[in-house]
Amino acid sequence: MALRDNVIVAYAEAKNELRSGRDVWDFAGEILDSLITRARLDRAEINGAILSPSLTGSATAFWQQSTFEYLGLETTFSDTTDLGGCSAVGGIARAAAALDAGLCDVVALINADTPSSDDQFRHRSFVQEWTDPYGLMGPPAAFGLLATRYQHQYGLDPQALAKLAITQRDHALMNPNGLEKLRHPLSVSDYLQSRMIAEPIRLLDCVMPCDGANGLVMMSRRRALSKGYKSFVTPLGYAERSNYQAAISNPDVTVTGHYDAGIRAFANAGVALGDIGSFHPYDDFIIAVMLNLEMFAFCKPGQGAAYIAETDFHFNGDLPLNTSGGQISAGQAGLAGGGTNLVEAVRQLQGEGGERQVADRRYALVAGIGWIPYGRNWGSSNALILSADA
Amino acid sequence: MEKSKAHFPAAIPRSNFSEPFWEGTRHRRLFLQYCPRARRYQFFPRPVSIFTGRRELEWKEVSGRGSLYSYTIARMAPKAFRARVPYIIALVELDEKVRLISGLLNVQETDVRIGMAVEPVWIPNPDGTHLLHFQPADPLIRVSNPGPLQ
Repeated sequence: MALRDNVIVAYAEAKNELRSGRDVWDFAGEILDSLITRARLDRAEINGAILSPSLTGSATAFWQQSTFEYLGLETTFSDTTDLGGCSAVGGIARAAAALDAGLCDVVALINADTPSSDDQFRHRSFVQEWTDPYGLMGPPAAFGLLATRYQHQYGLDPQALAKLAITQRDHALMNPNGLEKLRHPLSVSDYLQSRMIAEPIRLLDCVMPCDGANGLVMMSRRRALSKGYKSFVTPLGYAERSNYQAAISNPDVTVTGHYDAGIRAFANAGVALGDIGSFHPYDDFIIAVMLNLEMFAFCKPGQGAAYIAETDFHFNGDLPLNTSGGQISAGQAGLAGGGTNLVEAVRQLQGEGGERQVADRRYALVAGIGWIPYGRNWGSSNALILSADA
Repeated sequence: MEKSKAHFPAAIPRSNFSEPFWEGTRHRRLFLQYCPRARRYQFFPRPVSIFTGRRELEWKEVSGRGSLYSYTIARMAPKAFRARVPYIIALVELDEKVRLISGLLNVQETDVRIGMAVEPVWIPNPDGTHLLHFQPADPLIRVSNPGPLQ
């Protein structure tokens, strides 16, 4: 048994909303209902459930069990994947492992969060003792440190970053589930003139937190075939890396865990980088996308800007990138946001991309980023290669 | 400049295993955890060696001299720091090959260079400890009043 003996038979996504006023379980319930419809399941068939954490809900204990009670889910296997922005992607591998182990038969993966309506988040980390006293303002400042170092080693080309931002915004214009506030075109000068937050990080380098939810249904390939699904999506290769280079006190911050996770995910999948038809990296900051391009070896380290300049990342271009707009342009639904680009990859492979459908829907690469550690790049990196199955 | 502005949080939550660090700062002295098995330093303080997972750790005093590995200029800030904007947050690499996130003081923005030598500046906390900041080691680019509130 292996990862690829299990498949994704359905996806669901709620529309991202700013300060929706809706309860986080209202979003989770919308996803459950949609998954049951789309996978043509009886609720009683779902006996496994995997959640992402939630800035609204998981700051307190019993997030997972409360959710099951609100949703009426009765399970033989359950888990909350606590990997920050890597959680949704990491949930795929955990679901497959649980299915392989016979712990459950049908898994609902549900990611719901409402930080723009009800943010209960607080740190229990190095932050209070070691960075709050210096006024380090969260992720933008941490990415400011990372971006300045990149600039020093390789040079930082704002035009290249602008191109990524604009391409993803173009995709968001075609995504009815995107945040309405961001559904207007972006120009190079809009990007370049957006105000500095933590130099060299601009406002338009950053995500906008919102409320939203998404989810998937997984089961064994054998079960999916016996239930007669016409199409499904197969996870071919997965790898994750947390606390990369933990035992080095002065690592090169421009090298991330994706370097390692990418190599292993592709080896597991048995496909080559050139086979990838669309790329769905975690995009909390624009520069993270460029670093992903380098770490997955679309180009060499430090060559991201040159590669971006010569590549068309539109849905109908050379390497379709975050074709629903990504979190940067569709909104970041808190810790459910790690599912945004994952669900879009599944949607594309199932041929349901609509006006933004990519042409090559054999293989997609999805990546996650989770947690910002002390003076490094990010805490967890994961990579997932999906294939379309007839 | 140090005494006039109470723009640092009055009470910083601290781990029990970082106490020797904070005690040292009462005397403006910098102590780092040192793993004798790996013969390497680590920061921030941990309950175990990040190299071996063992609790065998020593505290060694270091000079605080190092160089600027990276920095960011904060143009937006948390509420308590808004009056200081813009200010420089530094990622400093000490000569002992550990990195610290800190504030870079007493320098004009235009004089900041990655790789520049830096040295400690100690800013008093209300409880008698000090908060470690850095400034350029080169007195020629040090300024006593680079901007508002610094």
